[in-house]
Amino acid sequence: MQGQAAQNWGGSRRGGDSSKAGRGSLGRAIRYLAKQRRSTLIAYGALLIASLAQLAVPQLVENMTDAITNKLMADGILGLPAQAQAPAAEQAGTTISQLRDYQSGAEDALLAAGLFIVVFAATRGVFSFVQAYMAEKTSQGVAFDFRNEIFSKIQRLSFSYYDQNQTGQLMIRATDDVEKVRLFIAQGLVLTAQAFILLIGTIIILLLTNFKLTLVVLPILPVALLVFMMFGKISQPLFVEFQIKLSRLNTILQENMAGVKVVKAFNREALQQKHFDVATDDLFDQGMKVARTFSILFPVIFLIAQVGQVAILYFAGRQILGGTLNLGEYQKFSLYVIYIFFPLGQLGFIISLMAQAGASADRIFDILDTDSDIKNKPNAIELPDIRGKVEFRDVTFRYFHSGEPVLRKVSFSAEPGQTVALLGATGSGKTTIINLIPRFYDASEGTVLIDGHDVRDVTLDSLRSQIGIVLQETNLFSGTIRDNIAFGRPHASLEQVIEAAKAAAAHDFIMSFPDGYDTEVGERGTTLSGGQKQRVAIARALLLNPSLLILDDSTSSVDLMTEYHIQKALDRLMKGRTSFVIAQRITTVLNADKILVLDKGSVVAEGTHAELMETSPIYAEIYHSQLVGDVELDEAAAQEAEKTL
Amino acid sequence: MMGGGLDGARRIMSGEQLKPRNLRATLRRFGYYFSRHWQGGVAALILVFLSTWAQVTSPDLIGQAVDCYLLPNNDACWYTDANVATMSKADKITGLGGLSVLLLGLFVVASVMQGAAFFAMRWSGNHALRHIRQDLFNKIHRLSLNYYSKHEVGNIMSRLTNDTDTINQALSFALMSVISGTLLIIWIGIKMLRANVPYALVSLSVVPVMFVATAYFSNQARKAFRKSRQEMGSVNADLQQSIAGAREVQAFNRENATIEQFKRVNAANRDANIRAATFTSALNPMLEALGYVAVAIVVVVGGFSVLRNEPLLGTSVISVGTIIMFLQYVQRFNQPVQQIAVLWTNIQSAIAGGERIFELLDEPIEIEDKPNAQPIPTITGKVEFRNVRAEYEKGQPVLKGVNFTVEPGQMVAIVGPTGAGKTTIINLLPRFYDVTDGAVLIDGHDVRNVTMASIRQQIGIVLQDTFLFSESVMENIRYGRLNATDEEVIAAAKMVEADSFIERLPQGYQTVLGERGSGLSQGQRQLIAIARVALMNPHILILDEATSSVDTRTERLIQRAFENLLAGRTSFVIAHRLSTIRNADVVLMIKDGEIIERGTHRELLEHRGAYYELYMSQFRQEETEEPTPSIAQP
Repeated sequence: MQGQAAQNWGGSRRGGDSSKAGRGSLGRAIRYLAKQRRSTLIAYGALLIASLAQLAVPQLVENMTDAITNKLMADGILGLPAQAQAPAAEQAGTTISQLRDYQSGAEDALLAAGLFIVVFAATRGVFSFVQAYMAEKTSQGVAFDFRNEIFSKIQRLSFSYYDQNQTGQLMIRATDDVEKVRLFIAQGLVLTAQAFILLIGTIIILLLTNFKLTLVVLPILPVALLVFMMFGKISQPLFVEFQIKLSRLNTILQENMAGVKVVKAFNREALQQKHFDVATDDLFDQGMKVARTFSILFPVIFLIAQVGQVAILYFAGRQILGGTLNLGEYQKFSLYVIYIFFPLGQLGFIISLMAQAGASADRIFDILDTDSDIKNKPNAIELPDIRGKVEFRDVTFRYFHSGEPVLRKVSFSAEPGQTVALLGATGSGKTTIINLIPRFYDASEGTVLIDGHDVRDVTLDSLRSQIGIVLQETNLFSGTIRDNIAFGRPHASLEQVIEAAKAAAAHDFIMSFPDGYDTEVGERGTTLSGGQKQRVAIARALLLNPSLLILDDSTSSVDLMTEYHIQKALDRLMKGRTSFVIAQRITTVLNADKILVLDKGSVVAEGTHAELMETSPIYAEIYHSQLVGDVELDEAAAQEAEKTL
Repeated sequence: MMGGGLDGARRIMSGEQLKPRNLRATLRRFGYYFSRHWQGGVAALILVFLSTWAQVTSPDLIGQAVDCYLLPNNDACWYTDANVATMSKADKITGLGGLSVLLLGLFVVASVMQGAAFFAMRWSGNHALRHIRQDLFNKIHRLSLNYYSKHEVGNIMSRLTNDTDTINQALSFALMSVISGTLLIIWIGIKMLRANVPYALVSLSVVPVMFVATAYFSNQARKAFRKSRQEMGSVNADLQQSIAGAREVQAFNRENATIEQFKRVNAANRDANIRAATFTSALNPMLEALGYVAVAIVVVVGGFSVLRNEPLLGTSVISVGTIIMFLQYVQRFNQPVQQIAVLWTNIQSAIAGGERIFELLDEPIEIEDKPNAQPIPTITGKVEFRNVRAEYEKGQPVLKGVNFTVEPGQMVAIVGPTGAGKTTIINLLPRFYDVTDGAVLIDGHDVRNVTMASIRQQIGIVLQDTFLFSESVMENIRYGRLNATDEEVIAAAKMVEADSFIERLPQGYQTVLGERGSGLSQGQRQLIAIARVALMNPHILILDEATSSVDTRTERLIQRAFENLLAGRTSFVIAHRLSTIRNADVVLMIKDGEIIERGTHRELLEHRGAYYELYMSQFRQEETEEPTPSIAQP
């Protein structure tokens, strides 16, 4: 898994070739029906009854036509001279008295048969409805289970999984892929069962009623099956290819929508249109390939079904002329033949449903079977209340166990209550270090210890519940501002929430909204600016009252005034707790008890500001890069100070 | 079916209609796209017509088999001129054989034409769809950015993918089935009426009931589906949010609570779907049952006529052959009726989809080259804003009369609070937007009088939101200059200090980036975007918060590199960070859409105005927290 993941780094395209395992996954998906036992049983019970009932229809139609033809036959024979009646009746396989019955009771028989078929149709309608409804209900239940499982899994996967998988792709598994499997369970499986019942039932009935005529139809069956299988085999890869080309086209579209400004800025409209035109041409060609296959498949399906009809007409006609078959029976027979060929015609549809569902089931189980690389050890202990000593011992970290290490043998320790500032160039490994503390990732080598406990030996819950984090990019969730601040402590009182918001310099802007703390944020509500989001995130962390605090660079794109407010809030937040801070601003760093200077994944210098100014040229350079040229400012400040004095 | 991912949620919220509004205009537009490849459509129609004819003729032949040979009746038999009443058995069998061959031939012809019709239809349809897609794509790039700021990308996206997909599905099967089904129904109706009007009317009496049932059930189903789509929207929104925010969910130990919440949304969606299933599950059994009723009517009514030897309502007596024929007709009738009932929804949503697509295509283009626009000559770099006013929404000016002149080679820093209009100013230079009043001039040319391509080719922009394509790092940088060699790309990356982290990516420059360059930090994404512009070597450089997440030391190295690269070229920088601004030749302080102060960093500090205030707020903090101000000496 890891090796594969590394190859798919950034993971935009993958998984296309795993469809071979589809059948196994599909079988596994079908086993989810076990949880819907009741509705499944009702659905298939109703299906059985409805299908068997359908088998009776031709017989019922025959009863009606028989009532007519028997009367006509009776009229014919009884209209003969008296001495010819008996032999004629015998030849027709009946007796004079029976013929008289036919003659007198014909209308009643016809009416009764007609009425019966209506009652019957209603009954079958009810069972068909129950079957369709229950199948849908069952499939919805299965889809529900799948979505819940996927969602739970997604919530527990490690950060590195998110690095490799795109939000959109994960969502498609929980929506479209689940829907495809659901469709198969609701329709494909049912159709298959129905086809089997009809096919077997029909053949038995046909054999029983007219063995010779059945032999005329039977040879068409294996031929038809073979043809459909063949088309299934041919068309499936064409469909898969079509889907791949379609999603390639949609990717280009999406990127051009999202990056429309970049395309404009670089004047690349023509280039993008060329890319897109190639993709549309490709899709067009593939679409025509599919069309070609189906413009052969459809007529063949149609023809095979009709060939049966023609054969029946001819051979049944011969039997009728030979007197071994009557017209009603022929009618019945030709209807039954439709029952054989109709489900065969659906086979193509079933095959395509199955192919799609198989591929989707693969992708679903791919997620469900992913083991989070970060999980509790079997004998993990609860981390006691954190005092705040944090130690890194020779920590090396590589993403996906490949490539150059992002951290190399990093060692340092922070005493309880200390503020540790991380400084270094973009990509030097600052964020990686803080990600290792709450175990968002595990170190590839070496250990991370909190109060002497290896973070891998304690439970994730007890570890993370004591660490407050403000991430570089803040996500708020739909709900009110209050809900968002109370995210880590859902039962906090409004007073506590307000207190946290005040400390995070967020109270004033929250109160400026008409609904105050009950203002909805996120998709359906107010959009907060970057600086406001950031302060809500700080309040959220503050409300936890954590013993250990982690602040990733959180003031990068807010204006100066806001930054000033946030900075003040952060300073309050850090007092008395072990804190790790990534900041571009040197002022934050100046106050730190310990500064770690990182370069290309290694700690190149460590100490207080004063120490580092003397010992670390890199630190001095960073420092001056921010303050050099600010002499004017210093002078201005000095004048200001003089004035106020 | 379900809308893809997040789009689903947005479609609901944007009040997506399932029913077409302006049917005629939409059909006319579809007609336009089809007419570009009309041959296929015409061929398909003719072929469908013929194949339907062949299909409806077959029951005639089967009826003739009965009337001529099986139950000979000279009055009803037209297939042969011979007197069938006295025909020998052998002749009857021969005649039946001939009839069977004819029937088979008819079926062969019908199916071949059906296949050909399908192909012709797909040919036209695929061509039309390709044109629609290409037109849409072309439109995307011609629409101004103003359009994008007013419309949700998710919504536009769903027009491009979901709606074209619906149309595709409708075109590939539904349309064809509905056309041939309708033809079949009409043909059969005509046939039955021609054979015996009263008998036909009685046999078809269930049809109005079928229509009413279909209308009722699909209407109910549509309502139920609307509800279930809303619930699906919540499922999508929940999913999207918790996947995007998974890191926070884990950091705050909220997994169980989130899962519980999702289960509730998920269950609501399931229940809504099951409710909708009540109606969808009822339609087909209902139609099927009505079909059996029709069969019963045909046989009973026809049978009574035969049994009593009475003509039906004054016409001729019905023959057994006619009954058999009508039975065949009625049974053939049911299938297309059921099919149309099911597929009609497809076609409706395709038309609604078409409506949304054409709406997008009809969106006016706000910014385009003037008819006689000439390319701007090589830019020397003088930029002038003359009383520039700009507004995104009518009556809400973002810039209220901005005047300034930048000499070639100057570096201009634009500062001010969020929402003051900084980004708007730079958006006017490459004509992402047009001024509502006043003029923007580059080297004395009004930007609206020269071609957009010629300006944009010479302006390098690094945007606030770094957008990277899901291609390799190499290709992302090369986007700045397509004919650059790998060496040139690497040189550009080295120049902006991006080389060292790129080298440490799993596949170095060949590493393929994911969604929004995932796996890279914001700072790293910015460095790649800067490398892209460095490779482009522009005449005017615009940096909009381009280095906000890059550390100050790297930023300084980049600045130095740009100083060499862009010696003598004009540049605009928007930044909050002091270190970024202070080297500027001109600082423009913007507030509420106006320039309230201008000058060099030093001049503005001495002026003690808003700029001074803004920076002192930062400085004051340093002052209080750093008791030894002397350390600031280089």
